[in-house]
Amino acid sequence: MNPGPEPVLELRLVSKRFGATQALADVELILYRSEVHALVGENGAGKSTLIKIATGIYEPDTGTMELGGHVFDPGDPASAQRQGVAAIYQEPSIFPDLSVAENIFIGHQDRGLLVDRKRMEQDAAEVLQRLDIDLDPSQPAGALTVAGQQAVEIAKAISLDVKVLIMDEPTAALSAHEVDRLFRQVRRLKQLGVAVLFISHRLDEVFEIADRVSVFRDGRHISSRPITDVTEELMVREMVGRDPSEFFIRTPQEPGQVVLSVEDLARHGVFRDVSFDVRAGEVLGFAGLVGAGRTDVALALFGVAPADGGTITIDGQPVTIGSPTDALNHGIAYLSEDRRKLGLSMTQSVTTNITLATLDRYTLSFGLIDHEAENRDAAGLRDRLGIRTASLDTPVDNLSGGNQQKAMLAKWLNAEPRVLILDEPTRGIDVGAKAEVHRFIDELARSGMAIIMISSDLPEVLAMSDRIAIMREGSLQGIRTRDDADQESVMAMAVGVA
Amino acid sequence: MSEWARSHRWEVVLGGVLVITIVANAILSPYYLGLDNIVNLFWLSIEKIIVAVIMAFVIINGEIDLSVASVMGFSAAVLATLHESTGLPFVAAILIALAAGALAGLIQGLVVVKLQLPSLVVTLAGLIGFRGAARVLLEDRSVGEFPEWFDRLGQRALLGPFPLAVIVFGVALAIAWFVLDRTAFGRKVYVIGSSAEVSRYSGVDVDGVKIRLFVMSGLTAGFAGVLFAARLGSVRGSLAEFFELDIITMVLLGGVSIFGGSGTMLGVALAIFTVLNIRNGLGLANVDGIIQTGTVGLLLIGSVLVPNLASHIRSRLPFGGPPLSTADT
Repeated sequence: MNPGPEPVLELRLVSKRFGATQALADVELILYRSEVHALVGENGAGKSTLIKIATGIYEPDTGTMELGGHVFDPGDPASAQRQGVAAIYQEPSIFPDLSVAENIFIGHQDRGLLVDRKRMEQDAAEVLQRLDIDLDPSQPAGALTVAGQQAVEIAKAISLDVKVLIMDEPTAALSAHEVDRLFRQVRRLKQLGVAVLFISHRLDEVFEIADRVSVFRDGRHISSRPITDVTEELMVREMVGRDPSEFFIRTPQEPGQVVLSVEDLARHGVFRDVSFDVRAGEVLGFAGLVGAGRTDVALALFGVAPADGGTITIDGQPVTIGSPTDALNHGIAYLSEDRRKLGLSMTQSVTTNITLATLDRYTLSFGLIDHEAENRDAAGLRDRLGIRTASLDTPVDNLSGGNQQKAMLAKWLNAEPRVLILDEPTRGIDVGAKAEVHRFIDELARSGMAIIMISSDLPEVLAMSDRIAIMREGSLQGIRTRDDADQESVMAMAVGVA
Repeated sequence: MSEWARSHRWEVVLGGVLVITIVANAILSPYYLGLDNIVNLFWLSIEKIIVAVIMAFVIINGEIDLSVASVMGFSAAVLATLHESTGLPFVAAILIALAAGALAGLIQGLVVVKLQLPSLVVTLAGLIGFRGAARVLLEDRSVGEFPEWFDRLGQRALLGPFPLAVIVFGVALAIAWFVLDRTAFGRKVYVIGSSAEVSRYSGVDVDGVKIRLFVMSGLTAGFAGVLFAARLGSVRGSLAEFFELDIITMVLLGGVSIFGGSGTMLGVALAIFTVLNIRNGLGLANVDGIIQTGTVGLLLIGSVLVPNLASHIRSRLPFGGPPLSTADT
């Protein structure tokens, strides 16, 4: 258990900034030979940025990297691999039409002009055997399962003699049985002297496989300890530990009638058995990790990807929602988490975007648009939400992120929904705009709207919600009232250690 | 005014090119400004012009219809076949020919929407398929001897002092401008072209709009095919072959983005005038037809590709914000 004294990869004081966002701030990470090092943190903690820096996709703004005692400057992923650092992801990047053997040796430039297929397959078989992987080197890699393709990637890394293998959420798409097999391969890698950086949201897996664990939060390195010195509670606390006082305080009020009721809602292979109510004037928060199925439930309620099981009831009447038009007719609106791709038509004007979902309301005879009416309503929402824009004819692309977010909100407020689903309503906007959005959510709830708020920002969910639904891996883990929820208990349910 | 010019830079450029062309033509040829020539100018290309107007809608919507010239030939062939081998009243034959065009559009629209295939591929198949159908119907015959009123319609008819072609074109343009610029349908055409997903997520009936556009495109092509039959006095299987190239050229020259989402009817109208006048001027100056085509081609390369590429590249540049979503870093 005691890690050897031989550091392989050393990152010190590494920082990276994207525009206004400090993705990494002076982080330190040291990997030793023959260890499995787990890296944990919430969404936005800086894990992906770190991987991309270590594999040469991004260049750090400041800081030093050393590999085996020498300065490490990967430049690009291929060169990082040649120098001994490779990464595999939850979606393997293999060439489906090539054989297993060809995939394993694809990165080698030293095999000469002509390929000796037989020799290559023998070499591949040898590598696979060293790793205890049972695969036929001549079969096409595209026919393999995700687990099989990952095994091919691991074999490829070994054939390249890597010193460091980064595994980014490798178990996310695997069954329990496949996870066991992957872990056997990881232990074999360790015996071969490789340092494995293992990134996972699943803390039970971290405890099973890791020798040491580092916690990142908001782009900072919080701790690195041997796994034996860490408890789940400590790890969760370090992952979330933020001061919730920076958040808006909701105006207390008694919620009204149940508006939307969902029972045993399911979509095959995506989520199942989701049941909850939302009342008028209530904010129901949805907490969970990315990929827990929260957005999928929202898309089912909004008709983009309809549910295939369960019932949706509005005001006591069962309804069928097969398209966004159905959802809007039933008074359900959905503010997408992806503003640029799904939320706003970037090249179109502020007014066009605000009235897009309600165009029928401004349509006179012969299909003529009542420009005066739509500009009046758009101007009203601009003033109400404080959207800062040169004019209502300005393309939304020219607005700042926070103002774009408010324009998107304006589009849905104009539809006067009874149920408003907000998916990551404050993602990627600055603190000031965030506070404004929170103030509106409170105001809308007070006006009697039923609000569902999906957020990966745990303190935000806790501060804004009356009740909190926690999802994990496509199922609802439970619903807590605000009074008996805190960051640790919600996070514990979200990662499945409770 | 300057605000308008800034947001319609391309229309201003086209207007300038058009004025230069007209002045140059007037200086070079004494016949250019004659009524006969102006009637000719429109009449000889009226079918292409009408189809170009609807093509503008399709391309702004983010799709393309390569099949229009073949549908023109197909509708005309349907008309000629019905006239030749059935006792159907000629007006009924015309209506069936128009319906055939609309049906061709409907089929292609349904395939694009329901099977989610790119319209480039679907209408390329349509280009081959409907041309094939026209040739099957007529083999290598030329079918004519239409009723006299129909043939007369195809001559340089005047409505009072105005040539019919100019009136048809003017009315078509006015309707197209009104629909595109002033109606909810036109608004949806732009927004879907700029982002179909955003439209879908806003409850816009994306599929319905696309299907209607393909039906309109087919119907308009059918109408143009029938009109062309009237003008020629007879129909062959090769009627209007390769017209789609000129039609798409006019639309793109008009500043309509091949990526969808932008373009104006004014730009398309100016581009049509410009192309017609350049061809006409070169014709009056006895320039060889191949060189005429080459000149229009050069104009397309020089003026369409450059601004389209420039705006495309601009739109791909970082927007001043962070290059990547801050989530999941």
